[in-house]
Amino acid sequence: MATLPRLNIPLHVKYIQSLGENKDDLVYHLTAHLRMNAIYWGLTALCVMDHKDALNRDEMIEFVMSCWDEEAGGFGAHPDHDPHILPTLSAIQILTIQGARDRINVPKVTNFILSLQQPSGVFAGDVFGEIDTRFLFCAVLALSLLGQLDQLDVEKTVSYIRRCRNFDGGFGAVIGAESHAAQVFVCVGALAVLDRLDEIDQERLAFWLAERQLPNGGLNGRPEKLEDVCYSFWVLSALSILKKVSWIDADKLIEFIISAEDPEGGGIADRPGDQPDVFHTQFGVAGLSILGYPGLLDLDPVYCMPASVIESLGLRKDWEALPRRVA
Amino acid sequence: MHGVQRVRYSREVLEARKQREQAKLKEYLALTEEVLAKKKSGELNREAFDLTTRVLRLNPEFYTVWNYRRNILLHGIFPSSSPSEINDLLSDDLSMTIAFLKQHPKVYWIWNHRRWCLENVPDCPTDGDPHAWRQANWNKELFVVEKMLDADARNFLAWNYRRYVLASMTLPRSEESELAYTTRKIEANFSNFSAWHQRSKVLTSLWESGNLDPVKSREQEFDLVKNAMYTDPADQSVWIYHAWLIGRGDDAGLLRREIDAIQELLDEQPDSKWCMESLVRYKRLLLQNHTSILEEKERSELREECLRLLSQLKEYDPQRRRRYDELEESVRNT
Repeated sequence: MATLPRLNIPLHVKYIQSLGENKDDLVYHLTAHLRMNAIYWGLTALCVMDHKDALNRDEMIEFVMSCWDEEAGGFGAHPDHDPHILPTLSAIQILTIQGARDRINVPKVTNFILSLQQPSGVFAGDVFGEIDTRFLFCAVLALSLLGQLDQLDVEKTVSYIRRCRNFDGGFGAVIGAESHAAQVFVCVGALAVLDRLDEIDQERLAFWLAERQLPNGGLNGRPEKLEDVCYSFWVLSALSILKKVSWIDADKLIEFIISAEDPEGGGIADRPGDQPDVFHTQFGVAGLSILGYPGLLDLDPVYCMPASVIESLGLRKDWEALPRRVA
Repeated sequence: MHGVQRVRYSREVLEARKQREQAKLKEYLALTEEVLAKKKSGELNREAFDLTTRVLRLNPEFYTVWNYRRNILLHGIFPSSSPSEINDLLSDDLSMTIAFLKQHPKVYWIWNHRRWCLENVPDCPTDGDPHAWRQANWNKELFVVEKMLDADARNFLAWNYRRYVLASMTLPRSEESELAYTTRKIEANFSNFSAWHQRSKVLTSLWESGNLDPVKSREQEFDLVKNAMYTDPADQSVWIYHAWLIGRGDDAGLLRREIDAIQELLDEQPDSKWCMESLVRYKRLLLQNHTSILEEKERSELREECLRLLSQLKEYDPQRRRRYDELEESVRNT
């Protein structure tokens, strides 16, 4: 086997640490609506790189709690921002990873999440009612992490996913929508958590997912589109749940992900030569972990959280990543 | 940061830029603080409404401010407005968000706000038809989404929105005209899988409702797709659509006919991966679904051909070698 390119872990750790120090930068403030997600992405990437403590735990927990909306029972993305299911899942993931689940008002947040389920079975993101299988996944994952899945109408939930399945084996954002790798990740992930993988045409879907790999090694999200590092995780998560990660060329994808890193400032971008961000850094590192890249820790591809955390909660599903290689 | 190139600037250039940015930053932070303070104190007046416009112009992803704007309209402004004024306010928001979408075609919150506006258009009190305002808006909306798809024919948010508009129109457009729209999109670019996908949905509905003869129409689809295959045999959109037309492979005659047609193309384009892949798929379907009508000789020939194609595929497409190994295994065990 050819030698693998080197992932500059210390530089990426430094990059993630530096993200909170850009407070005189306009972009930092323009992305405040993604702050909770960004912290979750940063923390998960650090965990996979075995540097969980690079960000201050207590400050992080206090920030998360400052986004809690007592009245609604959900988390916003930032203090004074409205509660929404996306930051609510990120908050629960962060508190779970940090061993601070006792800070969560479980009955209240469970009610908030369940209140967002629509008669069709899909979930809305918030009271204004935008629907998407992403939000359904957020709800399923959050309820599972909180040990509250028994409160969910599983059949109703699964029936919506079933209606989003397309002839190519993939899934879309809503009924009738085109298959998209990110939506495949959320639908397959939700079915995995609910132990309903029988709803999937597994051979057809794994084929569609394997065809996301382009000659340069990167993965795209739909047929005849460009590659992007974030699909590394979305496609690989679904492939590992279907136990077919070996259906793509791991070495070429590893090479592609690492070629998108910023060798000076750290962080990973959507593709080589572009500006890095914490989102692509996380999904790049997550992809590398599933591919067995040496020196990284195992990531649970269903929950997109450290595998050790999910195992200790007894929530591990039957997925298969590539074996960890030795450097 | 999708598609933003990394550029290395000197420390001086960065410092100068930061200085220039400071004024903008200060303005943005002040506006943010003001809008969130008003929201907290429950202000639902025109001044607060105008403030949300200013903030959203600078940052259309600030979902909390979109929510606040809607709450101001719903609980502060609409109760004291006539239906015609409400319709005007919503029309203004629809115009404003067109400008936003041109700059940010993939921001969910903008698309989402348009839906909310359209769903809140009131009954028209003067005209004989209470749906008149709504229908005018839906028609305009279809035009807007067509413009968006002209700019990026694969924007999946725009396609999802298009389906939503078509399903919501008070006077529904015929599915035949939607079929014609997908024909135009496909003819403009065979690689547009979003249009092929939409076509599969529209046809399914037309076939199920009996508005289109499935047998005749399917044959026309095979002609269209064949044309596309010959134009670019490496384009996977076309092959995925072809597999949809074949379906579960219940029709042995159809499978045989398409196998022959693809074989002909492969003879012309001997390194076409998608020809080989599709041949393996359809030959396996023949073996799996029609084994009782096949003679032993034909069965073993089909297996041999699959194995030969799979070993070629491993050579032409080594990235997915492991998949071909597994398919070989499965053909051997058929």
